[in-house]
Amino acid sequence: MEKEEIYERLNKVFRDIFDDESIVVKPETTSSDIEDWDSLEHINLVVAVEQEFGMKFNMNEVTTMKNVGEMVDIIMSRI
Amino acid sequence: MTLTSLVFALFCVIALIIYFIVPKKFQWIVLLISSLIFLFYGNFHISTIIQALVVLLPTYFLGKEIEKIFNTKKSRNLLIIGIAIILAQLIYLKYINLFVATANHICNLFKIQYQFEFIYRNSLIGISYYSLIMISYLVDIYRGTCKSEKNIFKFALFMSYFPILTSGPFVRYGNIKEDLYGEHKLNYKNLCYGLVRVFWGLFKILVISQRIGMFVDTIYGDLNTYTFIFIIMAVLLFPLQLYTNFSGSIDVIIGISEIIGIKLPENFTLPFFSRTLTEFWRNWHITLGAWLRDYIFYPLLKSNAMQKLNKKSKEIFGKKIGKKIPLYLSMLVMWTLIGIWHGGAYTYIIGSGLLQFVIMFFEDILGPISKKINNKLGIDTEVFSYKLYQVIRTYLLFAFTMIFFRATSVSNAIDIIKHLFTNIQSLFNLNLMFNLINNIGLDIFDAGMLIISLLVLFIVQLLQRKGNIRDKLFKQNIVFRWGVIYTLIFAVIIFGCYGVGYDPAAFIYRQF
Repeated sequence: MEKEEIYERLNKVFRDIFDDESIVVKPETTSSDIEDWDSLEHINLVVAVEQEFGMKFNMNEVTTMKNVGEMVDIIMSRI
Repeated sequence: MTLTSLVFALFCVIALIIYFIVPKKFQWIVLLISSLIFLFYGNFHISTIIQALVVLLPTYFLGKEIEKIFNTKKSRNLLIIGIAIILAQLIYLKYINLFVATANHICNLFKIQYQFEFIYRNSLIGISYYSLIMISYLVDIYRGTCKSEKNIFKFALFMSYFPILTSGPFVRYGNIKEDLYGEHKLNYKNLCYGLVRVFWGLFKILVISQRIGMFVDTIYGDLNTYTFIFIIMAVLLFPLQLYTNFSGSIDVIIGISEIIGIKLPENFTLPFFSRTLTEFWRNWHITLGAWLRDYIFYPLLKSNAMQKLNKKSKEIFGKKIGKKIPLYLSMLVMWTLIGIWHGGAYTYIIGSGLLQFVIMFFEDILGPISKKINNKLGIDTEVFSYKLYQVIRTYLLFAFTMIFFRATSVSNAIDIIKHLFTNIQSLFNLNLMFNLINNIGLDIFDAGMLIISLLVLFIVQLLQRKGNIRDKLFKQNIVFRWGVIYTLIFAVIIFGCYGVGYDPAAFIYRQF
């Protein structure tokens, strides 16, 4: 799967989780860029991403991912 | 050996001198010996040695084994065994009386005459801290976040590093190992920065916290004599007593480690400027919050059971409300555990657990509603007056929850709440008022000193909001810089509460 396609599908997941159609995720997007992205919403996001791509993050990755770019790198290594 | 005792000061000075004069490759051994002396100081028995080994040996060997068979089902089983051993000892030594009290309540409820006796065990200092740190060590190896320690003596140092045995903070092996076992040269900047931090901590504990404690203890000790305004004052001052005591201890601990060259994580970032209780807890006991988030809250929310519940509740209640249900359930579990960790008594479970959860639950539900109302009414929430209202509201809510935390029992807490607004007419009885003011546990000097020191704390915190205050101090010219430092040191020595009514052993967070 190409990176562009992953970002496209991620965009859909982010918009769905945060109820905001204007979200456009980039590699450097972090939790401080999206108002509702707190530690509570983080898990819902992670699980939704797992379901979208049919893969699993381990707990270490869940707690240490710093931005969307890192998330995409992990997704690419798993699918 | 308490943080403010002369014995502790001497102990640290000797340990630090030896640490910096031995060849660097032996420095960690000096830390290990110092830590073991501290751990067993006045408590050196077969039972306490066994207590330490019961955690040390399984964690050490299981850590190595889990790493060897990384990512297998067996590694998960070994992790569960390790956690079970650590928790079993912790519950047995610290929380057994919670079960005894519950059993007795149930007996009372069913009018059974039998009462179980409370069990008091002599546990090692810092057991609540090192037990959780050991669990995080095993989980981190299981998750592949860090490698296991191969040298059992180095591992023993990680478990027993003496400053954090008193009041935390919770450290992670991966973050601290290099500093802990590394070679350090006595650095002038670290020494100055560390000493300032230590004395600032001592100032908070000895000059502020102990004085508030004298007042609060007097009022809480006699609820029938001191009514209304005095009880309100005690309730309002207790959070400050707790904060200055606990964050002061952390300052001393971080300061000593800074002198050695070990960087510890911060545990407080100005909690009393928080606009909501949720924000408050992000700034209060930060490392405990992070521990619970990484090892309980996230795994719980991500578990299959919670995900199933998530799906079901979304189907029933719709997406927006539905996704909140597993969240609130996980929060409830987490806050109950925070309450239990603070002590094996219902007062802690209610005060530092369930009440916090209830308030945050309402903050989460009412937050969007209040946002809508404010938008409709055109209320600007970013102006100073609105922020001030939110900060005061957060403080009052926290102070209310702390009534339970401070009370000797749940019925005592209810008694305090009942007394809060009774006997208001006493305010107009001037003779009685003067008489009571003369007996609040503080004389005019202490009361004045308390007000001045609280003002100093407030000003320092305002400056801290704008950046690192020690960096600013050390950029000043030499006369001003050392003037401030000597003033701080002499303030601690001269105005610290060492007199009658001051119990150096009464560290609020040490008991956990």
